[in-house]
Amino acid sequence: MNTPGNHLLASKSAPWIGGSLLLLLAVAALYLFTGAAVSEPARTPPPGADDISFGPADAPLSVVEYSDFQCPFCAEYAAMLRTLREKYGDQVKFVFRFYPLADHPWATITAKAAYAASLQGKFWEMHDLLFENQKEWAESDDPRPYLDAYAESLGLDLDTFHADADAQSTTDFIKRQAAEGKQGGVNHTPWFVVGDSVVLPRSLEEFDKLIQEAL
Amino acid sequence: MTGAESPAQGRWVPWLLAGAAYTGFVISLYLTFVHYRGYVSPCYVVHGCEEVQTSKYSVILGVPLALLGTLFFALMFYLGIALLTGPRVRAVRAYKVLAFAGALAIIPLFLLQAIVLKAFCTYCVATEAIMLVLWVASFLLATPGRSEAPDA
Repeated sequence: MNTPGNHLLASKSAPWIGGSLLLLLAVAALYLFTGAAVSEPARTPPPGADDISFGPADAPLSVVEYSDFQCPFCAEYAAMLRTLREKYGDQVKFVFRFYPLADHPWATITAKAAYAASLQGKFWEMHDLLFENQKEWAESDDPRPYLDAYAESLGLDLDTFHADADAQSTTDFIKRQAAEGKQGGVNHTPWFVVGDSVVLPRSLEEFDKLIQEAL
Repeated sequence: MTGAESPAQGRWVPWLLAGAAYTGFVISLYLTFVHYRGYVSPCYVVHGCEEVQTSKYSVILGVPLALLGTLFFALMFYLGIALLTGPRVRAVRAYKVLAFAGALAIIPLFLLQAIVLKAFCTYCVATEAIMLVLWVASFLLATPGRSEAPDA
C-alpha cells in the first residue's frame, strides 16, 4: 500500500541505491574490460625475407613481435615466447622486430648487439641472454662489458661482433623496422601480431590459445 | 543561512564532489584490477605507468595503493550522495577531513614519482588531480547548523 511515508522513504533511498548501482556498474564493466583480449587488424608489414625469424619460412601462421630489450614487460613475455617457440617451432614462424623506445637508454645498443649476433647466427641465443639478464645490464652505467661477455659466452667472433654492431647498415635496419612499426600503429612494446591481428595476450595460456585458434 | 543547500553554495557542489569521486573511483578500480589480475602490461612510448605501477612503492603493507584509492573514492562518493540528499553536519565534516587527508597524501605520492621514480603515470596523476579537486571543492561546502541539519 502506498503511503506518504513510503514515498518519502523511497525518495530518500533512491540516491543511495542509484549511487550503489553506479559503483557496481563500474566494477562489472572494468572486470569485463580488463579481462577482454585485445584484437585489431594489423597495419604493420607482413613477415618478409629479411626478418629475423624462428620456425619454418613457409609456416601457415606467423607471430610478429615488436620489442625493446630494455622493456621489463618484453622480458616477461620473452619467457612466454620461449615456451611457445619450443612448442610451436615447427608450425609457426616467430618474427622479431626491433622497436627501441626512446626512454630506454640502452635499448638501441642492445638492439645493435642482438642484430650483430644474428649475423653470426646467434640471434635467439643473444635475445634470451639479454632478456634473462636484463636487470644487470639495464641498471649499469655501461652495458657494453655485459654485451661482450654474452657474445663471448655464445662463441661469437668479438671483432666481427663489434664491427657489425657499429655498422651503419645495422643502425639503418633497426631504424627501418622501428619506423615501419610506428607507421603501422605500434605505440608500445611488446606489440604482437598473430596472423593478421594485433593482439595483447595477458598470459601464456591466453597466448597459447590464440595460436591454437589461429592454426 | 547556512547549509549544504544554501544559495551561495549551490546544488552543484555535491554533484561535483560525487562526480569527481566517481571518476577517481573508476580510475583507481581499473588500476586495482590490473594489479590483482597480475597482467603483464606493455611499455608505452609515452612512459611512466609501468615504472610507477610496478615500483615497490605501489604497495603498502601488502595493500596496493590502487585499492586504497578505490576505497577512498568510494567513501567520498557516498559522502557526496549524503550531501546531495540534504545538509548533514557529520557528512560535511567527514568530507572536509577526508578531503584534507587526501590532499596531504598527494604530496608524498607526487614526490615519489617526480624525484624517486622519475616517471609519471597518467592514471596516478589523474587521481591525484581529483583528490586536489575534492579538497579545493570541500571549501565550498558550508557546515550546516545543527538546528537545521539533522544527520538522520
